[in-house]
Amino acid sequence: MSDACQDISQGHPLLEHVEVLGNERLAKGVGLVTLKAPRIAAAVEPGQFVHLRIAQGRDFILRRPFSIHRAEGDDVEILYQVLGRGTRELAGMGTGTAMDAVGPLGCGWRVADGVSHVLLVSGGLGAAPLGMLAERLAERGVAVTVAMGAPTDDRLVARELFEGVARRVEVTTDDGSAGMRGFVTLLTQELIAAGEFEQICACGPEPMQRIVAAQADAAGVPCQVSLERLMACGIGACLSCVVSTREGHKRACVDGPVFDAREVVWDASEVPPKH
Amino acid sequence: MTFSTDMSVAIGTLSLRNPVITASGTFASGREFADFVDLSRLGAIVTKGVSLEPWEGNDSPRIAETASGMLNSIGLQNPGVEAFMERDLQWLADNAADTPVLVNVSGHTAEEYARVIERLETVDNVAGYEVNISCPNVDEGGMVFGMHCAPAADVVAKCRRATERPLIVKLSPNVTDVTDIARAVVAEGADAVSLINTLLGMAIDATTFRPKLARGVGGLSGPAIKPVALRMVWQVANAVAVPVIGMGGIMTAEDAVEFMLAGATAVAVGTASFVDPTAVIRVIDGMAEFCHARGIRRAADLTGALVAEPDA
Repeated sequence: MSDACQDISQGHPLLEHVEVLGNERLAKGVGLVTLKAPRIAAAVEPGQFVHLRIAQGRDFILRRPFSIHRAEGDDVEILYQVLGRGTRELAGMGTGTAMDAVGPLGCGWRVADGVSHVLLVSGGLGAAPLGMLAERLAERGVAVTVAMGAPTDDRLVARELFEGVARRVEVTTDDGSAGMRGFVTLLTQELIAAGEFEQICACGPEPMQRIVAAQADAAGVPCQVSLERLMACGIGACLSCVVSTREGHKRACVDGPVFDAREVVWDASEVPPKH
Repeated sequence: MTFSTDMSVAIGTLSLRNPVITASGTFASGREFADFVDLSRLGAIVTKGVSLEPWEGNDSPRIAETASGMLNSIGLQNPGVEAFMERDLQWLADNAADTPVLVNVSGHTAEEYARVIERLETVDNVAGYEVNISCPNVDEGGMVFGMHCAPAADVVAKCRRATERPLIVKLSPNVTDVTDIARAVVAEGADAVSLINTLLGMAIDATTFRPKLARGVGGLSGPAIKPVALRMVWQVANAVAVPVIGMGGIMTAEDAVEFMLAGATAVAVGTASFVDPTAVIRVIDGMAEFCHARGIRRAADLTGALVAEPDA
């Protein structure tokens, strides 16, 4: 366990044998897999992830990290987009498929007691680590507003979940098929400037997070972002997944994936992972 | 049959409880694995490479998965020897005092390697050093020293003068004849050699026309490199009199046994620890079971036990 997480109550990661309970196609290239993972489900905090050993054998070796979208009872849900070999394999997994998972991993979202209204900003599959956060904040009595964007209406995949727990949900789509036409950062510009939020939590494509971070900074609102990197070990040893910060390279897997936006050096050099 | 195999092996004056150690850079300093692995069961812990000053390492992306393996270009990111002593060695002293710690050492110059060792000589819980003259991911130092006999010998000579502790030299496979380098470092007093480090490789994304690693090239590891590693271990074991630590794509106990048969005295588990954080324990247990099932009383008897003729 990294020192970085000591300010929040997070347990130790564990290796758990998990089983696919369902694997649903939500939209083109987007799925939701439900795993029976009682120990991870009991321990996970919003914003943490699991490292799944999707394929066995020697030709395809590395695990793949996935944010936990929701946890309920013995089960965890993972929202995924098919981008590379790992997610293609995952999309093909039927009910009953077994694999092992390491988790829960990483430093999740940190919303202090006393914060009364939080803005969640989701771009595309950025909704993945925000679902559980929205639910937990609502349970705590914290008001939640969600600004979410996606390419098309059918890709606004967590909209129902957010609408069930948030005070307000605003959407944008690239093609105008739902909500305002354009990127979600058009919405957040106005929302953040209106000044009702004490904190912002954002996840999505890195350029989107960079813009939201700048908007938050200009308005003086604390902002956290969840960053994605290619990862090998997931437990802090290999130093594959580093993020450039004001204090040098930090590991997305244990020092993040959630970072204080002011800490991040947005170098724009990162290409989106297609692991 | 009631007997238990003696799993212990010796690397010069260093005695290991079993032949299985961690490969540098794949196990940090053990702390990250403590939730999954009982560190007191390991033959030794080989740390991530340590340099005199902090090194920031390379830009992201730093890894790419390839067929049966992965490329990395971490670039020896490390906090420098002072922070390493305060944080990592202290943690190991408090939490894994019974397991020998071998510190992997890097430098931009031969003098820097020796200065890192000089600092580490001041602490008790360092059992020995692995001198890294084979990292393919840095512009100065690393593999630059390990590709030719003269600079390799120079680094080892300077390190040798800095310590009487066991000195292991980690060799690069990216050379014309690995036995030449092995002989050169042994002549300067290396107590053992370890090999192989990663093979220099490249991955390209045809959809973006770009290299998959920010640095362009990186080191290949994993099962893909095992045949190359076995061949080099076998060549070196037949060329020098010092113990050889074999590594390169070991995923299972059987893989580890193959390295011993090729001539390795001990073996290191590397990339497998990324795939399965308990891999090193699986290899230890599996090797003990292997020996027991075949009536092998000493794991050390596997070393170099290769039968020259292939099965007819």
